[in-house]
Amino acid sequence: MGPRNYRLANSWREWRLRAVVLPADRYIHGAATSRYQWGDDDDQSPASGGKHLNLTTRERLFGYERALDHPVSVEIVACVIVGLAIAGVLILVLRSRMREQSYRVVFARWRSWCWLVGVIIVPVLAGAAWTMLAVMLLSLLCFREYSRATGLFREKTICAVIVLGILMVTFAALDHWQDDRLFFALGPLTAALIVIVSIPQDRPRGFIQRVALGVLGFALFGFSLGYISNFANIGRLAGSGPDYRPIVLLLIVGVGLNDLFAELVGKLVGRRPLLPSTSPRKTWAGAIGALLLTTLLVTLVGHRLFAGTPIDHPGWLIGLGMLISLLGQLGSLTLSSIKRDVGVKDIGATLPGHGGLLDRFDSLVLVPPAVYHYLSLALGENGPLGADQPYRILTGSGG
Amino acid sequence: MEDWRLEPARDLELVGADRHRSYYRESGLVANIARFGWWTMMRASLKVLHRLKVHGREHLPQYPSFVLVANHASHLDAMVLGSTLPLRLRDQLFPLAAGDVFFHTPALAAFSATVLNALPVWRKKVGAHAIRKLRERLIDEPSIYILFPEGGRTRDGSMKPFKSGIGMMTAGTSIPVVPCHLSGTFEAFPPESFIPRLHRVSIRIGKPRTFEHLENRRPGWDEVSRTLETDVRALAATTAGRNTNTTNKPPTTDPAP
Repeated sequence: MGPRNYRLANSWREWRLRAVVLPADRYIHGAATSRYQWGDDDDQSPASGGKHLNLTTRERLFGYERALDHPVSVEIVACVIVGLAIAGVLILVLRSRMREQSYRVVFARWRSWCWLVGVIIVPVLAGAAWTMLAVMLLSLLCFREYSRATGLFREKTICAVIVLGILMVTFAALDHWQDDRLFFALGPLTAALIVIVSIPQDRPRGFIQRVALGVLGFALFGFSLGYISNFANIGRLAGSGPDYRPIVLLLIVGVGLNDLFAELVGKLVGRRPLLPSTSPRKTWAGAIGALLLTTLLVTLVGHRLFAGTPIDHPGWLIGLGMLISLLGQLGSLTLSSIKRDVGVKDIGATLPGHGGLLDRFDSLVLVPPAVYHYLSLALGENGPLGADQPYRILTGSGG
Repeated sequence: MEDWRLEPARDLELVGADRHRSYYRESGLVANIARFGWWTMMRASLKVLHRLKVHGREHLPQYPSFVLVANHASHLDAMVLGSTLPLRLRDQLFPLAAGDVFFHTPALAAFSATVLNALPVWRKKVGAHAIRKLRERLIDEPSIYILFPEGGRTRDGSMKPFKSGIGMMTAGTSIPVVPCHLSGTFEAFPPESFIPRLHRVSIRIGKPRTFEHLENRRPGWDEVSRTLETDVRALAATTAGRNTNTTNKPPTTDPAP
């Protein structure tokens, strides 16, 4: 039987066929020999012309059936779940050795991790639209914590502009405006709008502070985090590579593990503090250890992930690993600096055992734009990321 | 925010119901928009459904802080008082609401804090400590309180004596207290009914008073509540007199004592 095409599920039977039978078949018989294959690009069935999204786009946005198409996605998800399970078992085993108080803290922290992993992995696997929605929520919540910690939340007009900017960033990513021009334009345009709305208030004292806080907040939590949405516009990297899922997962898990490596290595062999005034617990050993381990990990996973694309070259892969590790650590230090400047220990109290959401996602704030442009550069004529997918999905001809 | 000083939200470490019940709560954009919608709706519905008439609007102070006190007959009362103020003051307007009713469950607390911007008064254990916090907030930052010194809604339509909590908040300060009298709210939304009825509502706003000359002690507190009670009763008498005059009937009761 030849490759099967997608149709909109119009009956329970068809839904079951698509969601259960075909993916199972693919895993039993292997992707190459399965009756069902992924990536039937440009399949323009008569039912989906006109105003409706074409099949490629619909599949990318809502195609949860393809969640685990790429083996690296499966491996990353499996590793994360196994890691969490092992951590949970360890906590239970070591409970007798711990004080009740510290057990409670560790357990609350572990439980928060489980929730976090769920709310990160499920939208990323479920489809690009859900990924973008999740990124939008993350941006809004992170900005909320930032503005409450810095006092910017009292400036309602500036906050409204930044919220608008975050919504526009999501729209630009979802629409996939030609060459992502709208997305990139939103950086300077939102910054300018923040300045503009601050002028008619006629309060020159504190003007620089208000505007600067607003621009920094948008740059870090609206624009920078918004790049993750843009990653979700990858259908198949360079035409034959992976979809966006394993790339986004590698990005997030890589940054998370980078934190973990830094902490572990720092605890084991760390002595000299890295930046004692900014973050007393970070050490040189931790930073270098994390750099080496993360680069190694990203290079190994990246070699499998990017096979067949121009990125699969030791130079590019090692560079990618170093980029993720260095910017991850710098992002964490950025938030440490903000916290020190404001004089708070945790930036919020949203997650039990962690503090605020930003205390967890701090390392992610600088990574996505750099990696996006780095990969686009590496792709050469196949770039930028997402060039394989139709542009102007909502504002154009419908994909 | 002071110039060049970063000042985090005072309730930064609090989450959920703890934050909503806190006196140090500070709200952001979402609550601001929710209150805009709520007060716009309230103004429109009071005007259309209850034909709200406001007498003496010129007595309202221009800027916070000040306190509005009135007789209490229904849940509409705070809405009527809030509707007399400009919409831009919505974030500085804090109705003091019974904690055991408006902050009982987390969901209710979220609504009361976000939309109504209410501050809880725990009637069973209303300690001097809580009132001192409310007094400090009034002095330290621009706020407007809506307070019903009777301590609860009337069940029979007649006014109960004022309690001295209002005195504990304002005696010895220069904060203006505006006595108001609401009429028609008891008929429009009696305590035993679940939805308001179509009934005309009017409010008479009196001259603001300050109690700088009084001591922040028991005799001063009692003096404040006595003065305000007299004011509100006088406003009630004026309203009653006007109503009987307009309908050309002789007054059936003696003027207020």
